[in-house]
Amino acid sequence: MLLDIKNLQASVENKQILKGINLQVNPGEVHAIMGPNGSGKSSLASVLTGRQNYEVTGGEVSFDGRDLLDMSPEDRAREGLFLAFQYPIEIPGVSNINFLRTALNEIRAYHNEPPIEAKEFLKLTREKQKLVEFDAKLTNRSLNEGFSGGEKKRNEIFQLAMLNPKLSILDETDSGLDIDALRIVSNGVNKLRSDKNAFIVITHYQRLLEYIVPDFVHVLYDGKIVKSGTKELALELEEKGYDWIKEPVTTASV
Amino acid sequence: MITTTSLYDQLTSLYKEKRNDTESAWLSNLREDAFKAFTRNGFPTTKQEDWRFTNIAPFLKEDFLLHPGEASLHSSKKAGSIPQFDAHEIVLKNGMLNEDVTIPGISISPLRTALKDERFKSYLSKHIPLNAQPMAALNTAMFEHGIVIEADKNIIADKPIHVTYIYNAAEPVFVQPRLLIIANKSSKLQVVESLLIMGESPIFINSVTECYVAENAQADHYVLQVTPPNVRWVNFNQTIQSADSLYNNYTYTLPGGLLFRNNIHLDLNGTNTESHLYGLYLTGPGQLTDNHTCVNHLNPNCFSNELYKGVLMRDSRAVFNGKIFVQQDAQKTNAFQQNNNMLLSNNAIIDSKPQLEIFADDVKCSHGSTVGNFNDEALFYLKARGIGDVAARNLLVNAFAFDVTNKIQVPAVQEYVEKIITQKMAEAYD
Amino acid sequence: MPNKSDDILEEYSNKEYEFGFVTDIEMEVAPKGLSEETIHFISAKKGEPQWLLDWRLKAYQSFLKQPEPHWQNFELPKVDFQDISYYAAPKSGAKYKSLDEVDPELIATFEKLGIPLSEQKILAGVAVDAVFDSVSVATTYKETLKEHGIIFCSISEAVKEHSELVQKYLGTVVPHSDNLYAALNAAVFSDGSFVYIPKGVRCPMELSTYFRINTENTGQFERTLIIADEGSYVSYLEGCTAPKRDENQLHAAVVELIAMENAEIKYSTVQNWYPGDKEGNGGIYNFVTKRGVCRGAHAKISWTQVETGSAITWKYPSVILQGDYSTGEFYSVAVTKNKQIADTGTKMFHIGKGTKSRIISKGISAGEGQNSYRGLVQVSAKAENARNFTQCDSLLIGDRCGAHTFPYIESKNSSATIEHEATTSKIGEDQIFYLNQRGIDTEKAVALIVNGYAKEVLNQLPMEFAVEAQKLLSISLEGSVG
Repeated sequence: MLLDIKNLQASVENKQILKGINLQVNPGEVHAIMGPNGSGKSSLASVLTGRQNYEVTGGEVSFDGRDLLDMSPEDRAREGLFLAFQYPIEIPGVSNINFLRTALNEIRAYHNEPPIEAKEFLKLTREKQKLVEFDAKLTNRSLNEGFSGGEKKRNEIFQLAMLNPKLSILDETDSGLDIDALRIVSNGVNKLRSDKNAFIVITHYQRLLEYIVPDFVHVLYDGKIVKSGTKELALELEEKGYDWIKEPVTTASV
Repeated sequence: MITTTSLYDQLTSLYKEKRNDTESAWLSNLREDAFKAFTRNGFPTTKQEDWRFTNIAPFLKEDFLLHPGEASLHSSKKAGSIPQFDAHEIVLKNGMLNEDVTIPGISISPLRTALKDERFKSYLSKHIPLNAQPMAALNTAMFEHGIVIEADKNIIADKPIHVTYIYNAAEPVFVQPRLLIIANKSSKLQVVESLLIMGESPIFINSVTECYVAENAQADHYVLQVTPPNVRWVNFNQTIQSADSLYNNYTYTLPGGLLFRNNIHLDLNGTNTESHLYGLYLTGPGQLTDNHTCVNHLNPNCFSNELYKGVLMRDSRAVFNGKIFVQQDAQKTNAFQQNNNMLLSNNAIIDSKPQLEIFADDVKCSHGSTVGNFNDEALFYLKARGIGDVAARNLLVNAFAFDVTNKIQVPAVQEYVEKIITQKMAEAYD
Repeated sequence: MPNKSDDILEEYSNKEYEFGFVTDIEMEVAPKGLSEETIHFISAKKGEPQWLLDWRLKAYQSFLKQPEPHWQNFELPKVDFQDISYYAAPKSGAKYKSLDEVDPELIATFEKLGIPLSEQKILAGVAVDAVFDSVSVATTYKETLKEHGIIFCSISEAVKEHSELVQKYLGTVVPHSDNLYAALNAAVFSDGSFVYIPKGVRCPMELSTYFRINTENTGQFERTLIIADEGSYVSYLEGCTAPKRDENQLHAAVVELIAMENAEIKYSTVQNWYPGDKEGNGGIYNFVTKRGVCRGAHAKISWTQVETGSAITWKYPSVILQGDYSTGEFYSVAVTKNKQIADTGTKMFHIGKGTKSRIISKGISAGEGQNSYRGLVQVSAKAENARNFTQCDSLLIGDRCGAHTFPYIESKNSSATIEHEATTSKIGEDQIFYLNQRGIDTEKAVALIVNGYAKEVLNQLPMEFAVEAQKLLSISLEGSVG
């Protein structure tokens, strides 16, 4: 098992936001997590990647057999956990390419591998750029600075391709994307899918799941997974909205 | 320190004479403190950093009359001079309010009557740094007339309030008007100040305005400095904003008076406030216009934006000194400041000093300052389209200046200001 | 989840200043105190001509009359000028004829600082003048430079061997009465470097002076004079360190640059004086007057500085743009952390027609550090078509530091174009987390951001030193972010 979340509870500023999440992800699987605003979807991503201010108040998470919650954010990344941010931040002065080489070499050093050769790095960059149709000009610009929304999201997938993680969490990567950008991003992800890696796709809209077809769909509501199913569940949600989900929650939690 | 002029002696002896006045204790204590603050420093000199470029000494040499009585003013003016301006008109003759003005929800009263009420103790000079501001201290110690404009809570004023000061300057006069604006909780107020001068002797105005914008209130404050050459004006404007309030200040100085010194101080005393300071100075022959602004971010999540533009003509001089302080508690501050200048003459001098002092870390602040002449590219482009040199220059200067005037939210005022700009610029060119 | 900020801060605070060691060597130290006798003593020690002694005494008189500066926005510590020794030299003799005569301990000291002096090890492409307390101990590549007619030696030596040149230019850019500390320097300066590049010569290597304060209770007052004659070019670099001591030490240097027609001087500083400990005890007061003059048309002077050390740094390398179409540049990175104060910037005086200046200042404040940019761009009435561009940015790390900008812009010419931009931003938790999430730890993340931020300035340094400066910058900020 790649990811095993058991009864995960977390809070921000003493406000409980995850109230006991259970989720197992195996290599080769794609899980979609859906749910209304404020249900805890992005918080789950933040807790898993170790963002500050999120306090774990209970439960455990193992990642590839190791205790994930015990690791620093960078070690989680080095172990192969990748978050495609909902709002990728701009970092002026740091070029995309310099950033990527640093990240790649840090991860390699962690695994006792030597730094990547310049030539090999260049080759890898070109190859992955093509994969996600990422404009080569953007790689020399400052990280995300002045990028359009679509460019930022594509840059996230480009980084995903470069760093080749075991588990990728896409946090609302589809929000605000037009249909072309959505197609490009999804194509990138589909090409990167293999039986060795896994994806957790957090989304609001069923639309994305037509492009990235999930093996499982989970509905998060009020800090808990209240329903799990296959991709048909997503369609059902699209039609009926989330209201019909809310009922069993209150009864279940009593 | 200037303490040797006859004006200084005149003022100090006048102050002492009036000690047996009938004012309430808190007010005479305040005046005493202010008077001490003034006499400690005297009139400011160019040795003080804040007055480095602005020498007021030559303007203090007149044999000033300190008390222009109302009787000396024969003006039948009942309204100010802004055409087609639909406003509540308030006319102050030699500083005095003669007629009752009634506006629903808004009280307008002479300052000295109002100050009998203990309530104003918590407003008057409460935030003015008297020791650092000798001119404001002098006004506080000795002001005679002035008015209070106060909007009750939840009152949205139906139209702007236009305050016109009419002074008789048949002889040299030294006047110290005072204005207190209070916009109570969730009220909205627009105040426009302008000036009318009769007579051609030097008139030195040392004014103080205090503006309190309470929680969730909005105040727009316009100061139109359209004056004849005999005016010298030192103006101190202190605004205090409470949480969720909005304040806009528009200070426009046009050719005419020889000396203008505006101090615009803004204290952001609550969270989530928004403030805009817009300034335009078009300086004409022999004129010195000095704008000192100070925006003090004391609380988190406040936004301030400052845009000051200057066009310098003939042998004029302008000073811009803009300070932004972001104090330690003022996290998530957004503070912006821009000062752009065009020098149209080789005899003009500009001194610009934008200044940021930041003690909090989670802030976004920037300032910019430019000094330049015409954009040759733009000029060429216009000429290539058949526009003559003078017309092209006028077009560009107007575009430069109107960037600030189009922030004016009262159409009549905007029209009035823009018309004067165009007219003054034409005069300066010939 | 682990919260690193406190741990890292702790770890960093314990980080030692790398160059804080003391060299144990027998020194001749003048008794503490400042008087006309002190000046006679120094002048006699150096066997100076009468004109220089007279000049020093005049400077001393103006020092006595100078008021203490009061315009800075920090509390100026009281410096007791009588509690300082104004001369300290290794006993074995002031200037050595050959390296064999130099105390091996001294050579070892400079080697430890990364400045090898022995012929076998000298840095390729860089000629070094090494100054230890009050005297220059060695100058490398002297002969090679001589072949090009270039004079590169200690100023004491120049006074003896090129007296007319020194007399002609000394104090012409920074007069002996310029300010309190410049006057003090003129009265008591003990050594420093002298450079003369003849007409049309492009100096074939970087020239460099390395300053080391060693003895306690001494001040260092070096004086540097660089003259680039018509059409010549020189790139000069200074570096400096001092041992860790609990008391503050004064460093009041003066640098004068003179660029004739079509000449160019590039002056770089990597300043790493001891900054004091985290409580703000000890450290160097770095009060320096640096000024250059572009005498002739099309001359160019460029200042680049990386300031990471000193308890207080207070300096404004300036350019007087006298020659028509001359150019002045100022590139600066100043880092303050713990209780360090940096008040630095530049003055550009546009006098000639078509003169240009460019100012790029990057301040980085961490801990309780205070960083001020103070600058003046002055355009005189005759400086037709003068141009200036100023960019001054501040980066804040942590919530107890401060960033301040005080630019003065004064223009008396309508054809001048002056642009000033300033921004303040912080290294945010969000930025750090983003980089963490890509496998980059916090230290490296800060280094990445800071070096990106300072790149424009670091690029101006000679290659040999750019890498060093970059490292220094990262080390200086290690542990400043949680």
